[in-house]
Amino acid sequence: MKKNIWLAAAVTAVTLLTAGCAAQTPAASSDGGTLTYLDAEIATSAQVQESGTWQTRALQQNITDRLLYRNADSGELEPWIAESWTASPDGLTYTFVLRKGVTYSDGTPVNASSVKKNLEWQSRGDDAKGTTPNAQFPSGLTAVADDDERTVVVTLPEPYAPFLNVLTGWGAGLVADATIDASKEGQSKFVNLIGSGPFVVDSEVYGKEIVLTRRDGYAWAPPSSANQGEAHLEQVTVIPVLEDSVRLGTLKSGEGDLIRYVQPSEEQALADAGYQVVAATGVGLSNQWFLRPDAPFLGDINVRKALQHVIDRDAIVKNQYTESWTPATSVLAPGTFGYLDESEKFAYDLDETNALLDAAGFTERDSDGYRTKDGERLVVKTYIDVYDNTAKSLFQAIQNQFVEAGIELSLNELDYSTYWATAFADPEVAALRVGWPHPDPSKGLSEYYSADGSDLLGLAGSDATLQALLDAQNAATDDAQRTALLGQIQDYLIDQAYVIPILNDSQVFVAADRVDGFQLSDGALPEFYNVSVTD
Amino acid sequence: MAARQYVARRIAQAILVVALVYIIVFFTLFVLPGDPIENKLTSPLNPLPPASAEALLAYYQLDKSPIEQFAITVGRLFSGDLGYSLVSGRPVSELIAQGVSDTIVLAAMAFVFTLALSLAIALTTVFAPWAALRNAAASLPIISISTPSFLIGFLLLTIFSFQLGWVSSIRDQGLVSYILPAATLAIAVNGVLSEVLIQGLRRARAEPFVTVLRAKGTGEGTIAIRHILRNGAIPSITVLALVVGELLAGAVVVETVFSRRGLGFVTYESVRDQDTPVILIVVILVSTVYVVINLITDLLYPTLDPRILRHGAKPGGAPAARPTRRQKVTA
Repeated sequence: MKKNIWLAAAVTAVTLLTAGCAAQTPAASSDGGTLTYLDAEIATSAQVQESGTWQTRALQQNITDRLLYRNADSGELEPWIAESWTASPDGLTYTFVLRKGVTYSDGTPVNASSVKKNLEWQSRGDDAKGTTPNAQFPSGLTAVADDDERTVVVTLPEPYAPFLNVLTGWGAGLVADATIDASKEGQSKFVNLIGSGPFVVDSEVYGKEIVLTRRDGYAWAPPSSANQGEAHLEQVTVIPVLEDSVRLGTLKSGEGDLIRYVQPSEEQALADAGYQVVAATGVGLSNQWFLRPDAPFLGDINVRKALQHVIDRDAIVKNQYTESWTPATSVLAPGTFGYLDESEKFAYDLDETNALLDAAGFTERDSDGYRTKDGERLVVKTYIDVYDNTAKSLFQAIQNQFVEAGIELSLNELDYSTYWATAFADPEVAALRVGWPHPDPSKGLSEYYSADGSDLLGLAGSDATLQALLDAQNAATDDAQRTALLGQIQDYLIDQAYVIPILNDSQVFVAADRVDGFQLSDGALPEFYNVSVTD
Repeated sequence: MAARQYVARRIAQAILVVALVYIIVFFTLFVLPGDPIENKLTSPLNPLPPASAEALLAYYQLDKSPIEQFAITVGRLFSGDLGYSLVSGRPVSELIAQGVSDTIVLAAMAFVFTLALSLAIALTTVFAPWAALRNAAASLPIISISTPSFLIGFLLLTIFSFQLGWVSSIRDQGLVSYILPAATLAIAVNGVLSEVLIQGLRRARAEPFVTVLRAKGTGEGTIAIRHILRNGAIPSITVLALVVGELLAGAVVVETVFSRRGLGFVTYESVRDQDTPVILIVVILVSTVYVVINLITDLLYPTLDPRILRHGAKPGGAPAARPTRRQKVTA
């Protein structure tokens, strides 16, 4: 038939056309090669103070340097752009002596004036440009640069103990004047993010790809870094691929070298096939649910404690996750400054849950098998977290475990944009997921649980013990004293059953065998500096 | 002139539709919670000092009343200032330009593929000499309608990118990169068009003029292509407008699967994040395209069938009605 011939001709034509322009594999370089990294999300705005998304921080991590470095293995602070630092005993004055010879990629020096400008900008924001302050930074910070451009003296209006840890964080990257002086919209572009880091943004097509190239002459890595010179890689191409299956297919076909996030069900097969699975939990707060005492039924501590014991985290990790994920052991993630293992206090114990609920008066059961008290069913309302890829199945697993004890977990769903505004304003809501990476835990704890912060528990300062502990931690500039206070805060949040720790969230990366030296920062962000790709 | 009046009326209607859609969407977005600035202000992660929150609201002029904001936005729109994305900080004009330039190529290629595929399916269904082939072809439109586009896209990617390595799954290689997504769209979208075309061809083939032509000794090929196809294809023109709409809608899914950053992606992202300035422009753009295509379709009818104007009949009615009238003329 004529049409069939036409079709066959068309198919042949298409075939020839595609074959003629087949995918080119990147040319091997003499040094560390090039890396094609596929992220699961799009890095939106490069604006430093607003960089709230993980994928943006992942880029900033490699483009900018910070004053101090926090060693992911030891947890210790190390010099970086500041070769030494001192803090006054009252916690109000910090002095940083800067390393010599460091420059931004536009050639301007990373000197005391530049550091002063960065710190004050982070603390203040820029109202005229619509730029908000960096929430991790202390308010009212002032800095003075010396005449030699070597020393910066920072003065705080009140003690802020997390300060040094914050300076190591992903949001504290130092940038050139050109970036700070640009409009907010200009700062949003990655090509305008001028740092002194081991990589420089060469080009970007919004949402499509960002090309990083090696910074020539880079020679100021943190002392513990194996590499002290330029990055090995000549180029890193960062391509967001939102579909899990496409990202995985591209890695397997050899076109991608490194991907972020695979579904837990894929991990084992990839490891068996010779791929490297690199995963880490970032420092900060663990993935946790806060329990609001003013929500229905939760005013009784026995009910809140019952909810802590009803979750079998090991079973969830075993059934739905992999070795890359771990059950939460505290309000803080392991490796975080001040972390204390509290897991004994909220271990899975169905008998304990049942005893606590009986004691709370939920002794009757309705026709569906749920516990009731005075004819009212024990219902805990929550919304499924919109930020975690695995949240839905995780919440459903918890829902099933609640049923074992006769508790109904009412699961509700919202879309991405309405989640904050709706879920957190719902007076019926009893529990919501919080807990994300923070360079220092104090700020996060205050933000979530202090009356001066977001007051997620809705206590409005009525729990004086909690409020006093949260207030005290910022003033405790002595490390031992801070550690003790953070321990007491973790104890108290768990003992009062204000929080149910769920999991230690992980960032999971899969790299092809040819990728060497890939490692994650203490915040579980990718570090490309020591990576090389061999063909 | 009736024709001129008709055209003027249709254009005025089109402009009104776009304006109404814009106004409705603008105020609906006001009522809905959760734009990026509101989320920033309410997020428990970054409580802002009150002064900074005020400065932020003032910067985006969100401290003004909805009516004032509407006036400001429309004023800027007419001066060519489309504003900035609240999420990425990029100029909306840049995002839209990037999206449109990508999607226009994709949609054009997909449109051609759709036409070719529908024609091939319809001609095979109606004229293939073997019943088995005819039946097989006849079932394709249903399969097309019921298969989700992401599945087709992933299948094509698996075969041509992951297995054969003919085309990159992630990098832009010029026109070649459009082939797989365009084919995906064509496969997913052709169903309705194929079905209408099949009906049209079947009806035209049963009409008396075919017998007359055959009696005159005209060849079967000429009858099929020059006469039956020409008569039987007219109802499909209405469907073409729908196809364009479906291509734009389908682009949202297909562009995600193929990591393309066209208008579909811009739409998806802006709606997901409730990025108001971007949504508003996307709405204007998409509704304009839709209205223009419908306008063109409506204006095209009179040239194909002048009686629509003469009789004052309203185009766009049931497609089946027109070939019947046509039949009287031809026969």
